[in-house]
Amino acid sequence: MIVEARGLSKVFPMAAGPVTALHDASLRIAERDYVAIQGPSGCGKSTLLHILGCVETPTGGSLLFDGRDVAALGDRERSRIRLTKIGFVFQRFFLLPMLTAWENVELPQSEAGASRDRRRARTAELLEYVGLERRAGHLPSQLSGGEMQRVAIARALANRPGLVLADEPTGELDEATGGNIADLLDRVNADGTAVVVVTHNPMLAARATTRLRMASGRLLGPGERE
Amino acid sequence: MRPAALAWRGLVRQPARASLGIVGIAAVGALLFDMLLLSRGLVVSFRDLLDSAGFDVRVTATEALPTAGPPMEEASRVCATIGALPEVEQVVPLNFGLATAPDGGSLYLIGSGPRTRRTWTMIEGEPLPDESPPQGPPPAVVNRNLARDLDVGPGDTIRLQIRSFPAMELVVTGIVEIIFDDAEARTAATTREAYFRLHGLPDADTVDLLLVASAPGVRSADTVAAIREAVPEYHPFSNADFVARFQRTDFTYFRQISFVLSTVTLFFAFLLVTTLLTVSVNQRFAEIAALRALGFTRRRVVADLLWESALVVGAGGFLALPAGGLLAVRLDAILRDIPGLPARLHFFVFEPRAVLLHVALLGLTGVLAALYPVFLAARLPIAATLRKETVS
Repeated sequence: MIVEARGLSKVFPMAAGPVTALHDASLRIAERDYVAIQGPSGCGKSTLLHILGCVETPTGGSLLFDGRDVAALGDRERSRIRLTKIGFVFQRFFLLPMLTAWENVELPQSEAGASRDRRRARTAELLEYVGLERRAGHLPSQLSGGEMQRVAIARALANRPGLVLADEPTGELDEATGGNIADLLDRVNADGTAVVVVTHNPMLAARATTRLRMASGRLLGPGERE
Repeated sequence: MRPAALAWRGLVRQPARASLGIVGIAAVGALLFDMLLLSRGLVVSFRDLLDSAGFDVRVTATEALPTAGPPMEEASRVCATIGALPEVEQVVPLNFGLATAPDGGSLYLIGSGPRTRRTWTMIEGEPLPDESPPQGPPPAVVNRNLARDLDVGPGDTIRLQIRSFPAMELVVTGIVEIIFDDAEARTAATTREAYFRLHGLPDADTVDLLLVASAPGVRSADTVAAIREAVPEYHPFSNADFVARFQRTDFTYFRQISFVLSTVTLFFAFLLVTTLLTVSVNQRFAEIAALRALGFTRRRVVADLLWESALVVGAGGFLALPAGGLLAVRLDAILRDIPGLPARLHFFVFEPRAVLLHVALLGLTGVLAALYPVFLAARLPIAATLRKETVS
């Protein structure tokens, strides 16, 4: 089991009063799982994803990552988990604009301490994997949206994580390009990496083996209406 | 990719902003460097000037400056007493006065006793003999200004007069450069015997200043102590004492000015770097949040920013050295035009310690200036920033 979440909740203190973004959410993600989380805007999907990715701290419940209680970990240990065990794919890609596609993919490996030879081999492998070996030397500004997202997926896979978290990965792309990204995520999952994708895109969600729906901060059970 | 490399790429990505920052730091850094040179320049230059004469102790009648106080009486006895001290290698008595030249203008006249060390630098001709010849006009050396104004050179005679005493002819043996002369000074030096004759006091035995050279291996302070004991009625002081006295009085204005301006320039540098980095961080919230989400630690993000600050401040600080050097040369030339100052006195003097201090102060400023943007980056809420950047 990669992730085991029990009764997660997240309340944001606001000037106008506390806002509950997530309420009593429990789920388990095992190796090779492909989970899609759907729901209307503001229902708590991204909050749940961020908690699962150890970038947000829940105000209630518990989260075990590889059997370790994330709440008991310090910032440095959580960073290490994110670096080596989780891959993030963002809606807006968030590639570093001053680095080439190659350098963007190499960066997390460098941070994780991989040797130069290993980085070189892995980066070449990943750019080929996402079909961008000929665009390795291009800056993000020289790439299309779909290409940038493919670089972002390659970057997410750089340190061979067991889990890829994708937040609206097709949100900025047209239907055809989004389809290519969905194909790529399918392939990532088929190659052994668990994928959790938050999406409004029914085509993308349909590819997941597990589809979860959220409404008003709650994970809905089967048959439960939004 | 190491923090330094990533910071470099970040700067290269926005060359206009980086260049403006570097030029700004170079400008304030040049001013800072100049202020550091100014803070000790006069002291160093003045000390060098004193030391260059080869005499490390001076004796006067009072604590007043040599030409401002009364003369010492019984000069022969005092010279003999001091010259006999084991701590002393040589004593040169000097008298100072004003005389009138044939062109009607005034000049400084020095009466000098016998000397083996140079009290001035020969430029042309022969040195001043220790004594006047028994027959004929006494010898004199003149500085370049006087030689030019009177159109005289070695072998020519000049006619000098002091007040209403009879004018006297002197033979110019050489042209010299006198270290304490200002740029416009007209100076002549002759024997003390001729000096007193010009004053109508052939039997006078007074002296305004004694230049004393310590014996080899003897510290100036020990020589001063020995002289003080031998002639307690007079005031011996070493070059270091003299410099310290000027530091406490005349030079203190320059030190205060340089301190205030250094502080202001450092504050400008601080504001400049803080603004640059803060703008840079604000523009890159999404990048920083994404890096943190990808597993970069706070320490790593902080290191990136500190390196960015170091590169801007380092490049600007490096450029500030030649820029400050050129500016210092120009400012020095302007300040040295102040009338009455020795021509060889400099306000801006290069010292390695000024470079070290410049580097240390700018480095510290760079670190302090990075604190606020570093705080912003380190405390950046990852999830909230990603949400905000995605929605906006």
